[in-house]
Parts: sequence; structure tokens; C-alpha cells
Amino acid sequence: MNENEIVREFLVESAENLDQLDQAFVQLEKDPHDRTNLAGIFRTIHTIKGTSGFLGFGTLERVAHAGENLLSLLREGTLALDAPMTSALLRVVDATRRMLTHVEATGSDGGEDYSSLIAELERLATRTPDTSAVVAEAAPDAPVPLPALEPANPPIAVLQTAADVDAPAPQGAASLQVTQADEAGTTVPNRRSGQDRRSGDDRRAQDEKAPAAADSSLRIDVGLLDRLMNLVGELVLARNQILQYTATQTDSAFVSATQRLNLVTSELQEGVMKTRMQPIGNIWTKFPRIVRDLAVQCGREVRIEMEGRDTELDKTIIEAIKDPLTHIVRNSVDHGIEPPDERAAKGKPREGVLSLRAFHEGGQINIEIADDGAGIDPEKVKRKAVSRGIIASEQAARLGDHEATRLVFLPGFSTAEKISNISGRGVGMDVVKTNIEKIGGQVDIHSVVGSGTTLKIKIPLTLAIIPALIVAGADGERYAIPQVSLLELVRLEGTQARTGIESIQGTPFYRLRGNLLPLVYLDEAFERGTAQRDPEVVNIVVLKADDRQFGLIVDAIHDTEEIVVKPLGKQLKGIATFAGATIMGDGRVALILDVMGIAQRAHVISEARDRRISEGDAGDHAGDPQHDLQALLVCRVGDADRMAIPLNRVARLEEFPTTSIERSGSQDVVQYRGVIMPLIDLSTVFTGRPTQGGDLRQVVVHGEGDRSVGLVVGQILDIVNERIDIQRRSTRHGVLGSVVIQQRVTDLIDVAAVVGTSSASDTWAAA
Amino acid sequence: MKALVVDDSRAMRMILTGMLKECGFDVLEAKHGREALTCLESNPDTTLALIDWNMPEMNGLELLQALKADGRYGSLRRMMVTTESEMANISKAMDAGASEYVMKPFTVGVIQDKLRVLGLVS
Repeated sequence: MNENEIVREFLVESAENLDQLDQAFVQLEKDPHDRTNLAGIFRTIHTIKGTSGFLGFGTLERVAHAGENLLSLLREGTLALDAPMTSALLRVVDATRRMLTHVEATGSDGGEDYSSLIAELERLATRTPDTSAVVAEAAPDAPVPLPALEPANPPIAVLQTAADVDAPAPQGAASLQVTQADEAGTTVPNRRSGQDRRSGDDRRAQDEKAPAAADSSLRIDVGLLDRLMNLVGELVLARNQILQYTATQTDSAFVSATQRLNLVTSELQEGVMKTRMQPIGNIWTKFPRIVRDLAVQCGREVRIEMEGRDTELDKTIIEAIKDPLTHIVRNSVDHGIEPPDERAAKGKPREGVLSLRAFHEGGQINIEIADDGAGIDPEKVKRKAVSRGIIASEQAARLGDHEATRLVFLPGFSTAEKISNISGRGVGMDVVKTNIEKIGGQVDIHSVVGSGTTLKIKIPLTLAIIPALIVAGADGERYAIPQVSLLELVRLEGTQARTGIESIQGTPFYRLRGNLLPLVYLDEAFERGTAQRDPEVVNIVVLKADDRQFGLIVDAIHDTEEIVVKPLGKQLKGIATFAGATIMGDGRVALILDVMGIAQRAHVISEARDRRISEGDAGDHAGDPQHDLQALLVCRVGDADRMAIPLNRVARLEEFPTTSIERSGSQDVVQYRGVIMPLIDLSTVFTGRPTQGGDLRQVVVHGEGDRSVGLVVGQILDIVNERIDIQRRSTRHGVLGSVVIQQRVTDLIDVAAVVGTSSASDTWAAA
Repeated sequence: MKALVVDDSRAMRMILTGMLKECGFDVLEAKHGREALTCLESNPDTTLALIDWNMPEMNGLELLQALKADGRYGSLRRMMVTTESEMANISKAMDAGASEYVMKPFTVGVIQDKLRVLGLVS
């Protein structure tokens, strides 16, 4: 028997069971007499205790044993559950998680000292039922520390066999005739309808209800699934090539073999994609616990409701939306739902409701997070935006309610009157938005004052293979446009083509059903100058970016095709115009357009709404950097220096305890979002002395992901919107010059120069 | 010889199966009492069952009672796998037809001793 295998199995099994426990405890608090629930909780802890005994994890065994004792008294009805007990038991769950993580990393349970927890559990277990009730009233639940560590997520996915993956369609012959009757050029494989997919989900849900069926599932390494997905991607490309070649052939045997290959490939692709699907419930299971802890911490009463937890998403997407969703949920509890007394005064039930909903719609997943809290007051948002200098007051007046509410997505915006340590460091919703957009999703917010806020998220099912429209530029080069962004195609011919496009202040527009549609020429989007255009035909691809529409004028429109998204090489990665590349049927590479990026570059929508609005206001000054209205982060560097950083250089504001700062070579680094981020102390750069005092460091994060760099500042003072009018060019290295902000001379930091000169640049240039 | 391990934990089944294999058994697995009954139905030649107490669907004690009520399993030796906290109830299990018990955690040696008592290994 292989010891390692058993430990691995133990870790996987325990992690699964613990995830369910969080929810079970929240449920138990509501209904302390639910015997089935209690028995389930008891069994989980009991099993962990028993197995860890075999595997020699003594500390884990002792903690679990103490928890089990208390649980067994609860199960027998000798004791009644109260809040301190729930908290202590949750601490058992947290301690168990921590030790399991330790086991996974080092092979031992860490031997941390849990004697106080064990003593607490023993004390609770020996209390008589009467006093426990009194104590429960006298001492309301102490805040439970949030788990410091995420539960270990072993790289394993449960794969449904037979039951879920349909066999390749054997009805080949019948459907073949139909497909053949179609144009041979049609290369879009039949996408399964939403209805069909849903029935698959139901099947899965049933499987979960009947544990006996679980034997038909087996565990597969995620790495293998990733390889399979890659291979299927290659197969799809090869299939596309063959299909294209077949279009020129007349041999009927060959044509029908190709059609069969086409069908099987599509089925296989869907099957492999399904293996990577996970129900969104996997991340939702953590929310009841998070909400419970948070509600206790900030004195709210919150009930969480979930609908559509079986809705499945690609694993990579599940991982990508985990943090944004958690942030939204925290926000809703912290800022959305009012304290119970306030709710009662408004005639609402004391308990707030947070509801999560997920469902498929048109090849996308919709996720809605709604609370019945105070809602967002658009007037308040506008005032805040104006006071923060994000927009001017006359622009605020022009904004509709929905647009005003959407201002919360701007960088540096926070609606909370006081910034709490729970959510909202002043940079919150903008990060949620950025992260969701990064995976091709969209997020919107709807709020009614007094009755609540709903966040609506739309995300694609998968990122690996997407349907796209193939278009051509003036040079004949082909580009792929993801179909999710596509609204419609408009073709203008003859007189219409010559007169249909109007120009308003130099920007071309087309009047589409009475609405002005701003236009972007594809070649101009690439800044390659204006090519010779055919005055007789104009092809407009109507796209949506954010909540706006614009038209992209292309030379020719080809076909729609399932394309396999390949990441761009390092050299092209930074270009906002392209989202990736793909290989076309004829073996040539086509670039995938980043619709959002094009819209931003062409200023159809702005990179951040504040800039669009301020550019509109700057009017004649637009394009003249010295006079542009620009958002600046004002901070203190070292003891006295007042300096400013352009806000568009700022990705996030963070705070790190000095203890988390490590030294790597001559470089200070900190672990941040799974990467090692180099830190540059601005005080050292400008004064030669490092930032002193306190056990927290304010850090301005510049750049994204593994290219981020943290700039340590003394204190963040303000965010202002100023016309940059450099008073005095600076010869000081790393300083662009001096500007007057709030009647005080402030040095404007040249972030590129600072980052470029510090040794930190080596760290990420090498990455 | 065939043995059946009845336990709801995959890790625990792996441990017990490993031990029984070392003792020379062909090992079947079930994750609760009801599944154990189905398994025995199709493997009537099973000579030993290692039974956990705490399981969903049908627990260890219920399984023992069901086995006792069914005349077909007279020759099946039933061994309870128990923890210290369950020791108080062990007499109930013995009444319900368990012939031996073994307390977690244990070693292969302990199981072998018990099997020797039952006359299943020499």
C-alpha cells in the first residue's frame, strides 16, 4: 500500500468534506435541532480524526477528537448548540484546514499549539445546558477570525464518466445527409442548444442526490485535462483545414468522410470541454461561511440564497471569477445590507437577503448577486465622484441614474463613508470589473434606493475555443472578432456608401435606425494610416464594448468560424488591440481583435470613464499633455516630500504589514496575488533613506500580474483631478517636474523612470 | 478468501484494504451498509467484513442487524472498526452479531492477531 497515495486521498476527501461543513454549520445555527445535519458534521470530523490517527497526524487527531466530543454531546441532545459553540467548532474546521495545508506542503501536521482551542472545546463540552443558554445571551458571539489560508485545492477534478459525456453521435448517416445539403463552406459545428445543456445539469444534480451513482466517476489530473484540451484545439484546427480543402473537392466519399470527421470533432470538443466544467456551486459553498462571519463582524443579519448552483463553467473561468465574486458578496454584506435596527425602522425584515443566481443564456453564463439593502443613491455617487475630482459637477448633472451608479466601477472610488477593513480600500469594484473583463465578461450594476442592488455578470462558457467572425483589413490580412461582442453587420452600397457616413467634429458616424453610431476604421485602429478605400461598398461590423456600441469598418466580411484561442507572444502581449491569435483553416495565423481595446484606443469608450469625461471637458486642450486634466494620486514620500503619481499608472492601492516584506538578493519583495512583487521604496529613491515607522507599508501597485511593481509611499493623502501645468521641469532623476496641487508645490513622479532604474525592473524583465 | 471493507471514507477504505491485502485477502469495498448488502448479495463467498460505525444511509449497527436477520450470512465474520468514543456501544454491536472489534488506529499486526482468533489466518 502506498502511503503517499493514501495521504493524498485523505487530503482530497477532507477538503471536500470541510467545504461542505462551512455551509452545514451556517445551516445548523439556523436550525440547531437538525439531526441529519449534526450527524453529517459529526461524521466528517470523526472520519478526519480516525484517519489522521492511522496516518500519524497527532495534533490533527487531538483537535478533531476534542471537536468530535462536543459534537457527540450535541448530537445526543445532551447539550444545545449556542453561538460560542458554533464559533469554537468553526475554529476546529479552520485549524483542521490549516493543518491539512501543512500536511500537503510538508507531510506533517505542523505541530502548532492548539491547546487553548482544545481546552475551550472541553470547557464547552462540560458545561451544563442551563448555564450555556445564559452565557449565550450574555456574551454574544465573538468575531471569528477569517481563515487565514484558503483550503488546499488539490489539482484534481471529478470527471463524470458515461453518464455525462455523450457518445459520439452514431446517427451519422441521417444527419450527414442534412449537413451535406447545407453549403459545404459552413464550418460552424452544431452548437448544442441551451435546453440540452440544462438537461445535462439536471442529470448531474440527480447524480449528486444519489450517492450510489458516484461510483461511475473517477479522478483525473487537471494537467492531463489541460493537455487533452490543447490537443482537441489542434484537432479543431486540423479539421478546419480539411473542411476548407474539402470545399474544393468533388469526390463524394471524401466529402462524406470529412463531414463525419467534422461531426465527431465537434462532439469530442464538447465532451472534452465538459470534463473541464465545474459547477459554480464549488465556489459558492464558501459564501455562507464568509457571509456568516462578516455579518457577525459588522452586526448584520443576513440570509444567503442560491439558485443554479449546478450551472457549469470552465475550470479556468471558475478560478478567475472566484475573487471578484467574493469581493462582491463581501461588499453586499458590508455596504449593501443595513444594520437590523435600521432595516426595522424602514419597515423591512431585520434579516437581509443576499441572493446568488447563475444560469445559461445564449452561450454565456449569467451570474446575478442581489441584496435587498439600502441600494446606491446615484446623487450621492455623483457628489462623491465630484468631490474626488473624478468628474466635473456639470458632467455629473448630465449623467442618468444608471450611468451615475456605474461610476462605482471607476478606479479610486468607494461608496462607503468610512473605509472598513472588510471591503473597500477605495479600490474595489474597478478591480472586479477589470478581472471580469479580462476573461471576456461584462459586469453591470442596477440599484434602487431603499430596495437593493443587483450586480449582473456575463461571462463566456469557455476561453479556449470561441465562435468568431472572420473579417479582412485593407491589406487582405484576416482578423477574428469574438462573436460575443458582435451585434450586427451593416453593408452600405452605392450612394448610401458615399453619403451614409457623416462626420461630426472629425469623428465619423453612421445613423443606424436613428441613433448615431461612432465608426472606427480597422486600419486606423492599427495606426497604419488611411488606406485606399472602395467608395462603393462599406462593411460595418456593429460591436458592443462595455455598454456602448460602435461600428468597425472592415474591407471584407468572411465567415464565422470556431477558433482556438492561442495566447500572443511576449512581444505582442501589451498591445491592447489584439486579444490573441488563432490558426486559420489554410494554416495562416489570424489575430483576434480585442474589441474593448479597439474601442478604447479609438476613444469610442475611454479607458476609464473619468478620462473620457475629462477629455470632453478639456476640449481644445485635448491631446496637449501639459494641459490635460489628469487624475493624480497625492502621497507623502519619506517624512516630508509631497509627491504625485498619475492615477493611470496606479493599478491598486495596498497595505502590507512590514513582516510580510521579504528580501530577495538586494531587492525587497512581497507575495501578492500569487506572484512575487518587487517593492521600490520611493523614500529610498528620492531621499536615500528608507520609509520608517509603523508596522504597515502603504504600497501603490503599478502594472499587472507578474509585471507588477509595488511603490512604497509614506502615506496616501488624496486623489485629485488637476490640469497638469508643469511649472518647473526637473533635473532630478525620477521626477517629471513640479506642479501646483491644492496651492502646494508637488513633485510629479516619473513612474517609468523610477521603475526602470530600480533593480526591480530586472526582476520583472526576466519574468 | 474474500473480505469486504465497509467505510464511508475513501482514505480509510484505502488503508483497510491495504492491510487486508497484506493478510492475503481479495478485498471488496462498500461505502455504507446498504451498498455492503448489495455487494454481499453478489459475493456470497465473502468470509470477513470490516465494518465502520458511522456511515450515511445505513450505519454499522444497522448493517449488523440486517445481516443477522438474513439467514444467508451465517458464516460471515463481522469485525467492527471502532474508535475509543464508540467503545461504550461495543456490547450493542456484539449483541447484533459482531464477532470481533478493532480500535482505531491499529496496525496490520493487530488485525492479524484478531483474524487468528477468528481462525481466518494461521
